[in-house]
Amino acid sequence: MSQPKIIDDKWGKEAMMPTVEFYHAAIRRLVAEKFAASGKTWEEAVVDPSLELTRADFENIEQQLLATGYLFETSAQISYIEEPNKYKPVQGVGDSGTQGKDAQGRLIVGTGDNVFAAKDLEGTARFVGTVDVVMDMLINGVPEGTIAIIDDSGGTLTAPILEGFAGVVCMGGTIRSHLGILTREYGIPCLMASELDGLVEGDRILVEYSKGAANAYAERDDAARALIVKIS
Amino acid sequence: MASNYTYAELLADNAWIRKSSDIFYWQCTTRTVQESKLFPVNPYIALSYYNCWYRYPELLRKIDAAMPAEEIGDRAREVSTGVNTIMLGIIQQFYLGGRQFLMDMGMINATDGIDDMKFVLDFTRRVNLGYHRQNSYILNSDDNNKGQIHPERTLQVFEADALGCKPGDKLHNAVVRFLATASQYAFLKNCECRLGINNSGPYKVGNNEMLVRDFIDLAEGDYPWLDGVTADIEYNNLTLPVIMKDTHFNIVDDWGSFEATPSYDHDNMIAVGLYTSDYLSNGYLPVHMNNASDLADYLDHSRETMATATSELWKRISGWSRDQMIDAGALVYYAVAKDLAHFAGVYEQNDWMQLEERTQRLKPIMNDEYGNHAIAELVGYITLSSQQNNPYNMNKWSDQPNDMWSAIPYSVLEGNEWTASVGPIRSGSTSLPPKTQKYTTTQGKLTQDECNAAARKFVSGPVAAGSKIYDDSWIKYNYASPEANNLYKATQENSRLLKGKGAGLSRADIDAIRIAAGEAPLGG
Repeated sequence: MSQPKIIDDKWGKEAMMPTVEFYHAAIRRLVAEKFAASGKTWEEAVVDPSLELTRADFENIEQQLLATGYLFETSAQISYIEEPNKYKPVQGVGDSGTQGKDAQGRLIVGTGDNVFAAKDLEGTARFVGTVDVVMDMLINGVPEGTIAIIDDSGGTLTAPILEGFAGVVCMGGTIRSHLGILTREYGIPCLMASELDGLVEGDRILVEYSKGAANAYAERDDAARALIVKIS
Repeated sequence: MASNYTYAELLADNAWIRKSSDIFYWQCTTRTVQESKLFPVNPYIALSYYNCWYRYPELLRKIDAAMPAEEIGDRAREVSTGVNTIMLGIIQQFYLGGRQFLMDMGMINATDGIDDMKFVLDFTRRVNLGYHRQNSYILNSDDNNKGQIHPERTLQVFEADALGCKPGDKLHNAVVRFLATASQYAFLKNCECRLGINNSGPYKVGNNEMLVRDFIDLAEGDYPWLDGVTADIEYNNLTLPVIMKDTHFNIVDDWGSFEATPSYDHDNMIAVGLYTSDYLSNGYLPVHMNNASDLADYLDHSRETMATATSELWKRISGWSRDQMIDAGALVYYAVAKDLAHFAGVYEQNDWMQLEERTQRLKPIMNDEYGNHAIAELVGYITLSSQQNNPYNMNKWSDQPNDMWSAIPYSVLEGNEWTASVGPIRSGSTSLPPKTQKYTTTQGKLTQDECNAAARKFVSGPVAAGSKIYDDSWIKYNYASPEANNLYKATQENSRLLKGKGAGLSRADIDAIRIAAGEAPLGG
């Protein structure tokens, strides 16, 4: 009689991520307990609906993890809004106070990978990270000269207003992310995988969009990354 | 009792599993991690895999009984629909993803669902072989990432009828604007995934290259969330053959995505066409291709319609609950096989737009962090326990002792330690509002029953003229025959410049026909 893989997997190992390991191990234990108690062969048990795990079983497993005080990383805004007690709040841009300066003595508040070479652009940094901000810009229009600071490499959050941005600085993804693809199609200058330090809402910034397009297949090269400089 | 597998069949299926495993790893690691602050993307991807595991066996059998998989692949080459490179390349991937997750959780063994596995693997191989018949491969990656889908007769029409353009002119500007808006809209209506966009090619046009760009499921149709807000979108599928100079498309991959050297630049676009098509169309139907100005006006109109639809759809989606976002995204993924049912005339909304109870039960663990990490381990890092092999093993790409999808143990060839099936599909549900509007087709807005009835009796002109048996290797020696001429004329039926010209045309003839019509040849 073959067994479900609980402890007798010759080459198995723990999952890399703690949440995955917790859930999968808990599910394996529960399946093994039900199987052992059934007195059936595996082939009989696996097709027996009465032995299937239920929604309540999965809810219980999640509760076991939450009971340890664990909070989940947030990805989609809606997840934190609906269940703030389960998720960590999204962190904003930090300020190390140790930023470097460019040749003209201006504070360098970030760098990023350029999607395509364009002209350097001066504009106003505006954080566009929530449905409420997008809705406001959809109704009232995107302020002229906005360089959108976006913590989302996807193409859906900013879908109805993307065309209105003068430039984009994205704190994630790669130049092949959906947002990178879309900004290239629209011809909107864009930095992806940006790392920001000390940038705040309303800052006047100069973005080095004239830098050559990043090589998606190359290792990271800091010298090849475009600078984001705070003007005022 | 042993399974229904012969040794040779199981060898072939395990090779298909391994090929799928290797190419999915390459695609997932060389594209990008999907992310969205609007949609919980990875939780819905993970959930969709379970629905594929539980539902595909019965639904693909239902399709195959009505129209064999390889015949659907044949028919799909004549048009642009959801039966395309990206969709066909991932049906078995999502199914195997569900299996791998369940194996890793100890809920099934590698020896479970063996009859289902045998059928799904065979079906997905046959439909891909049919679709990719033109280059005799099964996936674009086999062809060094080229998507040579169309035969000469289709490409001749695309080339001959393409309308010239250059940077700054009315048509060029309209095309560039349209492509941006259509791409944006496609990502939104597909809940952040790229399944609404597909490309085939490159096709050689003298010294230049043609890329055939498809936008799929644009109008009121299978996705219920498009009802109402997309009522003004006239065509469900649009295809733009784009001819480029000074550009080599070095990659058109298994997800229908392209890369070019030098980088794609709209300024290199020299000609373009616009077509619609679907499972009910007589091949590709030109859309406003009488002249460049007419096409530019229509593209601008279509762009404005899609921009409005984007805004309205975004407002609708931004008001959804997390559960609704999860359901919609999971259904987009799970339903990559839905257009097969349309071709076969057996499409049912409840088959393809519901998550069944065995899937729904897993929702409590689908928080953002688990979804992100589980998908990353499954298709990126290959670090789940069930994916680890003996320590001497080296993965094709990573050199690590692992594989994304587990093979079927050969023990199923003897003895009775295996199970046959996940059983019949069970009742499903969705938190989304039900579909209320008709389906947009090239034969008008139809009900579900009308769609299926029309599909069951429809045979397109090229199919009726023998597209299945008269392939390019036969045409090469028989182009002067009545059969060849009938087939080419059927494909040329709606062509602006080639109608009735038949099978004997060379590329030089295409140039001459364009020059005679006052249009520049496109071969460079």
